[in-house]
Amino acid sequence: MDMRALRPFPADYHDYVNTEEGWVDRRIFWEEEIYQQELEKIFARSWHFIAHDSQISKTGDFVTTYMGEDGVIGVRDKGGQVRVFLNSCPHRGNKVCYADSGNSKNFTCNYHGWAFGMDGSLLGIHNEHIYEGDINKADWGLREARVSTYKGLVFANFDVEAPELDDWLGDYRWYLDMLLDNEEGGIEFLPGTIKSYVNANWKFGVENFIGDSLHAMWTHDSGAKAMMGGEPFPPADQTDSYHGSANGHGWEFGTDGIADIAILGQPEVIEYYESIRPKMRERLGEMRAKIFGSLASASMFPNISFLPGLGTFRVWLPRGPRKMELRIWTIVNKNMPDRIKQLINKGTMLTFAPGGTLEMDDGENWEGNTQTNKGVITRQGKLHYGCGTASRIDHPEIPGIVHHGQYNDANQLAFYQRWADLMNADSWEDIPQRHEPRFAGKPTR
Amino acid sequence: MGATAQKITKKPNPAKPSLELINDVQQFLYREARLQDAQAYRDWLTMLTDDIHYWMPTREQRYRSNPMEPDIAHAAHYNDNYADLETRIRRTETGTCWSEDPATRSAHVVTNIEVELTDSPNEYRVYSLIAVYRNMNEDEEHTLYGHREDILRNVNGELKLARRKIIIDQNIFLSKSLNVYL
Repeated sequence: MDMRALRPFPADYHDYVNTEEGWVDRRIFWEEEIYQQELEKIFARSWHFIAHDSQISKTGDFVTTYMGEDGVIGVRDKGGQVRVFLNSCPHRGNKVCYADSGNSKNFTCNYHGWAFGMDGSLLGIHNEHIYEGDINKADWGLREARVSTYKGLVFANFDVEAPELDDWLGDYRWYLDMLLDNEEGGIEFLPGTIKSYVNANWKFGVENFIGDSLHAMWTHDSGAKAMMGGEPFPPADQTDSYHGSANGHGWEFGTDGIADIAILGQPEVIEYYESIRPKMRERLGEMRAKIFGSLASASMFPNISFLPGLGTFRVWLPRGPRKMELRIWTIVNKNMPDRIKQLINKGTMLTFAPGGTLEMDDGENWEGNTQTNKGVITRQGKLHYGCGTASRIDHPEIPGIVHHGQYNDANQLAFYQRWADLMNADSWEDIPQRHEPRFAGKPTR
Repeated sequence: MGATAQKITKKPNPAKPSLELINDVQQFLYREARLQDAQAYRDWLTMLTDDIHYWMPTREQRYRSNPMEPDIAHAAHYNDNYADLETRIRRTETGTCWSEDPATRSAHVVTNIEVELTDSPNEYRVYSLIAVYRNMNEDEEHTLYGHREDILRNVNGELKLARRKIIIDQNIFLSKSLNVYL
């Protein structure tokens, strides 16, 4: 009998991810022990997407979400700053907010009536006189996270040792500017969230968006033909397309400027982007103006993804090793005419939502990828991630770790390398810098 | 696009619908459910008007003091006109729609049917409750309940669906896909 089924978990997480040979150990998509380590070493230390400024624009506007499995409230305070707190009362632990979103001056626990302000402080307690001398309220506020924003995206982190958001993003800001800053006024999120469960490991969503351009031509053949008048995806072009990544965040892309927008099935949206293209060149330069809107997909470490130009933006919230909650929003440029915004809204919902012509085929695959690993023999195997391993290049304009050809496993491996780097590290000093940053301490636009 | 959703919630016409009309409406809804279960989507399309608006907004969990009525500009599972529905159906006809092969099994159950007359002599407001049971792959089960508010229109003596608003009883949509129409 092959005893490897009972083999111990390696102490070095790089043993699960071989970037040279191009494979990944299946156990990282299944094992509870590894998942618990992810919550401690990755989710408790990463910068998490909380909201976009446009979703909580007024004083008291709030959303609830999760950083790993830690529930949090993001609220705009009286001073106009977004504050992020654990959604758990320091008295007996109950949630202090049960709504997904809303507007409120305070958050009051249902159990004993402890009430917390927009600054997280304990304002008062129901029948407070009973506590006479027994509590110093100043010591019993909601636990607060660090908050930082990049061009309207609000992030939070509970790790006081973690690098600043700008350093966490690093050279990836060069990429992110294409999404957030391709036009004067930046972006906004359209109202409403689509929330759904997928019985898959959270990393399958992230790695799909970070680099898996290849699956689109096969998985989404039916969706593409439906959206594009019977035409399949255009033939794979490896000549002027790339994988780029920095600090585990990645973006795979072509350079024709329109292929992702075309999937919306809304020709007016293509026309709109073409009309602002000259200004985009002035804002972002020739290279980035050529990339934005092309066949592309992107993920930010650890669990944020988007399709630039198409307008879907999502997080993959872990719900155990074998389940995730997917939250989806539509993003548009703030200064677009309303009609264009609504055409994008319609297009994203028609393609990338649980009932979407493309999304439906993804969820089915990822559940299969995950659930087969219940078999111990199955779980002994490794998965092939060796496509394009020899394609690394230095590019004069594109920063980060760059590979030639968008049909590639390079970004996926860079993501898993970052994953292993964080899983191994006890301190931030132990986490290696995997590329020479070009924009350290400098703006990218 | 903004106006269509508002039209649905007008005051009812106090006149009573005839038993014959109620019967015709019920038969229409049952037929629709049967075509859905048979995945005879092209036949289903013939039951819709050219100006159909088929709408299923997403839910948001809010406090009672802080309600948010779904608006046509908000995120939606379906916010479709005739061409959009046809786009979705075209996907299932390509021969490469992998997630629908093997096919999903479904049972559409329609109940709680209420018929109201409207200010327009050719249009009827119909409330109903739909339960859709789905069974997929080896053993996956999903059940969806939807509260429907329809406008049926009499077009040359034939009933057609002109508006449908569906509110489902789920906050987080509890499964990976929505491959059925409610």
